Amino acid sequence: MGLLGKIFYIREKGNNFKRSKKWEGELNKCIRCGYCYELCPLFKTNNWESDTPRGKLLLIYGMITGEIEPTQGIVDKIFQCFYCKNCSDNCSAGVPVTDILTDARADLIEAGFEVEGTIVKVDEDLCSVCGVCVPVCKYEALSIEEKGKDQHEIIVDKVECRGCGLCVSACPSGAISQKDGCEITLPELHMKVSNLLKENKDMKAIVFCCNWSLFPGMQLSESPTLVKTPYGLIVSMCSGRVAPELVLNAFEEGAWGVMVAGCPPEECDHDGNYKTRRRLVLLKNVLKELNIEPERIKLDWFSTGESAKLSKAIDDFVKKLEKLGPIKKMEASKKFGG
Amino acid sequence: MKIDIDKLKKIVGGDNVSDDVADLYVYSSDASVHQALPSAIVRPQSIEQVQKIMRYANKNKIPIVPRGAGSGTSGHTVPIDGGIILDMKQMNRILEISPEDMLVRVEPGVVDDDLNRALKPYGLFYPPAPASSRIATIGGEIAANASGVRSVKYGATRDYVLGMKVVLANGKLVNLGSNTRVHSSGYQLERLIVGSEGTLGVVVEATMGIRPLPKFRCLGVTNFDKLEDAGNAISDIISSGSQPSMLELMDKIGIIAVNKAMDLNLPEVAAIIMFEADGNVKKAVDFEIDKMKKICEKHNGTGIELSYDVAERTRLFSGRKKLFASLSKYKEGIICTDLADDMGVPNSKIAVTAKKINEIAERNNVIMAVYGHCGSGVIHTKIMLDPKKKSQWKDAEKVIEELYDYVHSVGGVTSAEHGIGLSKAPPWKKARGDIIPMMRSIKKALDPNNILNPHKIMDAPDDWVGATNLRYKVG
Ligand SMILES: Cc1cc2nc3c(=O)[nH]c(=O)nc-3n(C[C@H](O)[C@H](O)[C@H](O)COP(=O)(O)OP(=O)(O)OC[C@H]3O[C@@H](n4cnc5c(N)ncnc54)[C@H](O)[C@@H]3O)c2cc1C
Ligand code: SF4
Repeated sequence: MGLLGKIFYIREKGNNFKRSKKWEGELNKCIRCGYCYELCPLFKTNNWESDTPRGKLLLIYGMITGEIEPTQGIVDKIFQCFYCKNCSDNCSAGVPVTDILTDARADLIEAGFEVEGTIVKVDEDLCSVCGVCVPVCKYEALSIEEKGKDQHEIIVDKVECRGCGLCVSACPSGAISQKDGCEITLPELHMKVSNLLKENKDMKAIVFCCNWSLFPGMQLSESPTLVKTPYGLIVSMCSGRVAPELVLNAFEEGAWGVMVAGCPPEECDHDGNYKTRRRLVLLKNVLKELNIEPERIKLDWFSTGESAKLSKAIDDFVKKLEKLGPIKKMEASKKFGG
Repeated sequence: MKIDIDKLKKIVGGDNVSDDVADLYVYSSDASVHQALPSAIVRPQSIEQVQKIMRYANKNKIPIVPRGAGSGTSGHTVPIDGGIILDMKQMNRILEISPEDMLVRVEPGVVDDDLNRALKPYGLFYPPAPASSRIATIGGEIAANASGVRSVKYGATRDYVLGMKVVLANGKLVNLGSNTRVHSSGYQLERLIVGSEGTLGVVVEATMGIRPLPKFRCLGVTNFDKLEDAGNAISDIISSGSQPSMLELMDKIGIIAVNKAMDLNLPEVAAIIMFEADGNVKKAVDFEIDKMKKICEKHNGTGIELSYDVAERTRLFSGRKKLFASLSKYKEGIICTDLADDMGVPNSKIAVTAKKINEIAERNNVIMAVYGHCGSGVIHTKIMLDPKKKSQWKDAEKVIEELYDYVHSVGGVTSAEHGIGLSKAPPWKKARGDIIPMMRSIKKALDPNNILNPHKIMDAPDDWVGATNLRYKVG
């Protein structure tokens, strides 16, 4: 918090957290069982309990009851969330985790804190204010605002931004970004692909999996450690985040095929899957140009709870890849991007 | 308390130590009613790191509280004296699965459900399965001697511990137990660690027995108009020589709560029993199920539903699995607190205890749910109250004392599976004063500086309400 923020915070103390305070009763209902973090992607990445939904609720409770004062460390935690809602869906005490979080965010912004977390930010130098990102955001978190005479800028509503990152992959100028550290940025996803393929030489397929609908089911049918699967699973948040270069990068790193598993078009919270479909059709054409079988890219839709169907689809895809064999070595000039 | 954060960072790496208030506050509580701030959180990745941390803490007399998922219900991981929380969740590798020897070797941070997911392709499973298996770690389960829905047939965690590596308070690594299914070679020290609640050593590796997954499982659900009838049916099933693989009870308060929380549409009768049989021969499973069904009918059980289908079994059981948190939905204005919790009674005393709980609750104007793995004698109760009202905590205190006095009078135990921690220490101490000196001697021999999870079980304060701050804003 800057100095001004601090002064404001102290002056307004009695009035702080006016939105969050209404949730005290709901927060008391939380038995702190921790079931909500079983399927929390952020916890899977960071493994600190302060990154779990239970942890965030505790911090909010502490702030509204005056037990703790907000610090930048606490604010950073509160602003890290992808709103996949696996937590509230899993909570039988019915605690509306993300609604509480949204109000806490609004209170903290009002109190003058600088926030980042999983919120997107726009690099003014790179942004041409083309506005492509604005309709991409289903939460209306992006808008074009007047900055000065004949000057405009893209403004991010930091309370409404859900961190899905669809705008990041939609921006033609690469002006929108998210902070590293939650394994969702393009370089981090690239790194994950490379590591998976390096760790397991027998891996045939990389499967990008939507966090919102599929990850819970997949997690429940996945066998961790020891059992080496011929495919590597990467949770890419919305399937709409799977940028073409990510798919091509997987091929370059040695994958025989790439599967993108998203939720059915009408079920996607972000309409990201329409974009994926368009992108992958184009990519398949690129593969054809390179004399690579286009069926090495597969896109399929699965609803929540269809983990058995997803497992079968992955198995079938791997079988197909085993028939196709590895990608034949390409001449240097024909390499991706070459 | 002065803790050398830089030194700790050198041992485990900068990313694995925190003294940020965001972390300290989150790690100050678990699923209990207690709360106390630690001074630092440290996340070791290896046995050597745990040894170094213990050496440092022992030399400087800094409390160390090992922590798994923090799903303990009695304040086990609440650092009453401050100090370091040793978050073991990063040590979560399955090191070996041996179908030949029917055992697994795991690090302590492995989550129970993850272990079972890894075992499934081998046709094997790790049976203790507490209801919290989705997050509870093997280290936490050992330290609490967790049991679960299948314990009625398969036993508790202690029945699966073959051997373990433990780092003692002075940093020394000891190898306890064996890789064999039985041993009679000296003290069963691995068993001493079971149920020790992090007070005697840090489990850094465990060798656990496993079992073959049965081919068939059949679940039955029955309704009762009287809680007592349900209790008698359970006792009768057990004493008839039946072999249920699950025998669970849920009372009306629980049923109403899960109906509200999960739209299950269960009949809101006085009690529901869920019984299951498993095995590799379907006829044998049918036989057991039929026998249990008849006993339920004899005790006025009605509307019996049976199913072999996995999806249907999961649906029927989902209410029981998520009951604890659902209780917070029972009635507007009151919430579920983890008090009274998990007593164990002899099989013949299930029905009378259930009835007594109802009577005590009613007489004291307190709402209390009764449920549990009753086939193995575990009776869970939760007290529902308005946490803001001081008077309700007072009522709860009175009820708890009366309840435990009764349970002990019928030969029951204070805790069947969750452990003593802070909340259950007063009634347990009252009942088991006879063994406290022996436990203190063991503790002193292994941890002379009293750094490992101090002031828990026999050394916990006599007043649970005042032991730490309550995690609710009272008044
Ligand atoms: C909703 C809910 C349902 C539950 N259902 C059941 C049930 O059916 N059956 C049951 O038995 N319990 C149940 N519990 C209680 C709890 O989940 C168990 O006690 C579980 O074993 C705790 O595991 P944990 O990893 O969360 O351990 P924690 O709560 O983190 O710790 C528990 C104890 O173990 C110690 N500990 C943890 N790791 C180590 C280690 N590596 N070395 C030494 N000591 C260690 C801690 O110091 C502490 O004393 C339930 C809890 C909840 C919230
Ligand atoms: S929010 Fe719900 S699931 Fe999470 S700890 Fe609280 S009660 Fe449990």
